Amino acid sequence: MYAVITVPLSSPSISPGWQGKLQLRYGCQDGTKVQYCRAQAPLKVQRPFYPEGPQVCHSVMLHTAGGVVGGDRLAIDVQLRPHSHVLLTTAAANKIYRSNGLEAQQDVLIHVEPDALLEWLPQETIVFNQAVYRQNLRVELSPGASWLGWEITRFGRSARNEQFVDGNWRSQTEVWQQGRPLWIDRQWLPGCLETWSSPHGLAGCPVVGSFAWVGQAVTADFVTQVRQLGAEPQGVGVTRLQQGLLCRYRGHSSLEARQWFTQVWNLIRSATWNRPACPPRVWQIF
Amino acid sequence: MNRDGSILRLLQLASPALPVGAYSYSEGLEELAERQLLTSKTDLERWIIQELTYGSISLEAATMVRCYYAADTQDWERLKYWNAWLTAARETEELRSQSLQMGQSLLRLFRDMELGREDSLPHSQTQLLTELKQGGCNFAVIYSLAAANWQINLRDALLGYLQSWATNLINAGIKLIPIGQTAGQLMLFELQPTLEQAAQKIRNLEDDDLNSCGWGLALASMAHETQYSRLFRS
Repeated sequence: MYAVITVPLSSPSISPGWQGKLQLRYGCQDGTKVQYCRAQAPLKVQRPFYPEGPQVCHSVMLHTAGGVVGGDRLAIDVQLRPHSHVLLTTAAANKIYRSNGLEAQQDVLIHVEPDALLEWLPQETIVFNQAVYRQNLRVELSPGASWLGWEITRFGRSARNEQFVDGNWRSQTEVWQQGRPLWIDRQWLPGCLETWSSPHGLAGCPVVGSFAWVGQAVTADFVTQVRQLGAEPQGVGVTRLQQGLLCRYRGHSSLEARQWFTQVWNLIRSATWNRPACPPRVWQIF
Repeated sequence: MNRDGSILRLLQLASPALPVGAYSYSEGLEELAERQLLTSKTDLERWIIQELTYGSISLEAATMVRCYYAADTQDWERLKYWNAWLTAARETEELRSQSLQMGQSLLRLFRDMELGREDSLPHSQTQLLTELKQGGCNFAVIYSLAAANWQINLRDALLGYLQSWATNLINAGIKLIPIGQTAGQLMLFELQPTLEQAAQKIRNLEDDDLNSCGWGLALASMAHETQYSRLFRS
């Protein structure tokens, strides 16, 4: 028998992981501008750019360590002052590595003030087999504010035929308005062969995606229009939220998911803000 | 529990014959059958077990548990919070409508039953019912209120809730697959240990543990919303 030795967290043999932080505040005065930006490694943000003119600020977030390991804790805090319009994306796919025994966690807190709009469109996340990860994304919407966002996740490194059959993944997304929940999405994938292969879970599909638009009532006609954009009908679905719209994808290609979501995004933008979708240049390297 | 008559009230509350329209919902099974993903007793049993182990029914039942505690302590704000939470957490519009329609039907029935009793409802609860009637009430929420009012203990109320849900899905499966009534009853009988385990797990869930593996159900239900020819409303 071995003696049980308690290793204190400060011991050099166990790293407590990255404690990355990112705080961003945007405001609108003759266009949307970054008012405050503070980043702590491994998180960084690139200089904003304006491919659509001064009204819409595009920002690209970076994870400079290349991926997330057990024990990492990332906290992102985004605030949009009234009337600002921001598109946030990431520079590359995010990777969640196999856990060293500790859970990795990312917390995102977003405040969207009256008549502001945040488009949260990160690139895909690749969750390695045996990863233990949770993310919490909470949006506080003021009246008249909107949030639209997507999340594209690949379970296992499919190129190596890796399946996500061990590990634990949780993703909690919540959108609240003045104390009232508009959308609560509590996704969980306990890694095992059954959740991986059965039609109740992933049905053998490594890629899942969700795209939601919350903050405005959506008509049944608009839902029908979105449905008509649909890719192959087996792996996608569209439904109405209490104040918005939700699309789900379950398939094999993150590119296919993003292309379909981009079509939906384009339809929403054109119909609501009279402005077509403007895919950030960083996506085009794929 | 027999002496105080609570078993009779539980049997009534959890009965598939409760006139709330449960029989008209398949919770995505009709779509799965259409796509040949639900073709046998084994498929149905697997789906029900997966739902109970990490599916959306555990969120619904866990909300019922929270509302039962709220009702027990007359904490109506808490109960309304979880009612709004469950509405926001439903996977699709169709499943949200199902939960609210069944909730509205049980609410009306519960009011009628309570009005007929000698010791009428306290004023605060009458007010609550009016608010829920106007703002929408999920089935799990009004079920918990009825169970707490009728002094059905939580363990039994929860088992009844899950068993009644499973019965309904089996009945939908009997029509859709189709399988025989006897096979359905055998499945329900065999599900007993799973129902017991699920109930125990659900009672101990922390708020942060309210997660579900929901892609299969969400996609089936989204597709059902536009299914061409349907027997069921979900």
